[in-house]
Amino acid sequence: RLTQVRWSRYNPSFIEPEVNKELYQKPWEELSEEEKEKMELKAVQPIKAAPPSVSSSVFSDPMISKFTNMMMKDGNKILARSLMAQTLEAIKRKQLEKYHKAPEDEKGTIECNPYVIFHQALKNCQPIIGLSSITKGGKTYQVPVPLKDNRKRFLAMKWLITECRENKNRRMLMPEKLSQELLQAFNNEGPIIKKKHVLHKMAEANRAYAHFRWW
Amino acid sequence: LRLIYTTTAVQRKNVGASGPEKYTEAFIKKQIEEFNLGKRHLANMMGEDPETFTQEDIDRAIAYLFPSGLFDKQARPMMKHPTEIFPEQRKIQWGEDGRPFHFLFYTGKQSYYSLMHETYEKLLNVQKYQDQLAAQDLPPRKEKRNLAGSRWLTKIELEEMLLEKLSDDDYSRFIQLLQKLMTLPCGDIEEKHIQKFCKEVPAQLQKVVFEPLKYDERGVAFSTGEGTRKTARASAIVYDNGTGKITVNGIDILHYFPVLQDREQLLFPFQFLDRVGKHDMVCTVSGGGRSAQAGAIRLASAKALRSFVTEKEVEFMRQAGLLTFDPRVKERKKPGQEGARRKFTWKKR
Repeated sequence: RLTQVRWSRYNPSFIEPEVNKELYQKPWEELSEEEKEKMELKAVQPIKAAPPSVSSSVFSDPMISKFTNMMMKDGNKILARSLMAQTLEAIKRKQLEKYHKAPEDEKGTIECNPYVIFHQALKNCQPIIGLSSITKGGKTYQVPVPLKDNRKRFLAMKWLITECRENKNRRMLMPEKLSQELLQAFNNEGPIIKKKHVLHKMAEANRAYAHFRWW
Repeated sequence: LRLIYTTTAVQRKNVGASGPEKYTEAFIKKQIEEFNLGKRHLANMMGEDPETFTQEDIDRAIAYLFPSGLFDKQARPMMKHPTEIFPEQRKIQWGEDGRPFHFLFYTGKQSYYSLMHETYEKLLNVQKYQDQLAAQDLPPRKEKRNLAGSRWLTKIELEEMLLEKLSDDDYSRFIQLLQKLMTLPCGDIEEKHIQKFCKEVPAQLQKVVFEPLKYDERGVAFSTGEGTRKTARASAIVYDNGTGKITVNGIDILHYFPVLQDREQLLFPFQFLDRVGKHDMVCTVSGGGRSAQAGAIRLASAKALRSFVTEKEVEFMRQAGLLTFDPRVKERKKPGQEGARRKFTWKKR
């Protein structure tokens, strides 16, 4: 008898839960046709339990939880979460310092919300095309390939974390270094943006092999 | 040569081939006559009326006359109608000269391919009808069928219907064709054909009994709920007109759950229903670890809050995943591996 390698305790007919409160507070008439159909279908289908890292409060953000999970080592979620909180606090402090020192007309342009800075920085770090190694005729070529959204986000987060872990001074703590990198990425400067540009240049250089891609 | 009582889907042998296992129609008819005669004899023996002797009476009589201590119910002596015992088999597919009757016999799965051909023909009909309507500038009819209450036949049911073995690929192709037929606007013409492959899903998902609120001595309304997660068991009592205080095993949550994530989980149901400061909660929890206890209390409080809230909001809670029991448990360690998934270090020599 064969069992699948990747299986879950839930029956395959179970559906992912939707935690966002605002979707449920919309009155019935404002929903479009498709959404009404989806709601009706959902009413008959069983739904999985919400995972413990997700909640409907304003403070839980899927990107932030993904980033925390990637930062986590040996399953120590408490430490990862505290580091993340300290990073956001550090960003807020730095931005507030800048805000109070800036003259009146520039005060409007300085962004103080750490979540906005985080999202914008990640967006700036995401590469557009990536390279994939394809073996043809015995030789391996680096072929430029469009990346999926998930892959882009993953690469941006991975670069951020490896950069912070390797290129810091001996005494600097992770939250401080991370906040530094995030602010630099928010302003489109810094080593991670450079890495992204290097990747784009390599892809541009290997344009000749683009026809090797078959998908 | 008697075949054991199984479904055709399980038989792996070539159903189209002739062999000594084939039952002729005359044989089945004889079996049915013998069965009916035997039923009347049995009724006489038991002293009951032969005319009104049902299958349940037969089963009881046989169990009485031939008591068996065998564990497997299928192994005990049974007397059922021959159509239940001899599985439905196809009659011999070719005539006396050896020439097959059906034109698709040599494909191997003649009923499956003929069904695909028929369904495709219906699809073409629908498209032609659509074109005719478009030519006459009439708008296409849009009567949407209720998708929520029905499901397609499973692969095993389809196999039993066609009396042929199918592969997963074949089955998925067939379902895709049916779905395409259904999504076209004028698909209602072929409604009858589609309905042969539909089954009603009993929408009994919400068999929840609404418990009314109980009132304690001071006149405050309260309700209870129980929840489990991994090995943790929790039971919660939610009081109305409260200040939002939550007590676990007699200790305040700030002291019992020092981690922010657990406290977020406890407040999740209240925050979802916008009732953060309105209820008091007293809960008891045992077993499991820190996160499992938090999850168990979350489920218990969500179940308790159901009695305070309208039906629509209960439905929203269910869709947010607050009311489902989490079946994920620790996976067992397997022999030959170091853990549940981790294998031993691979050494080349």
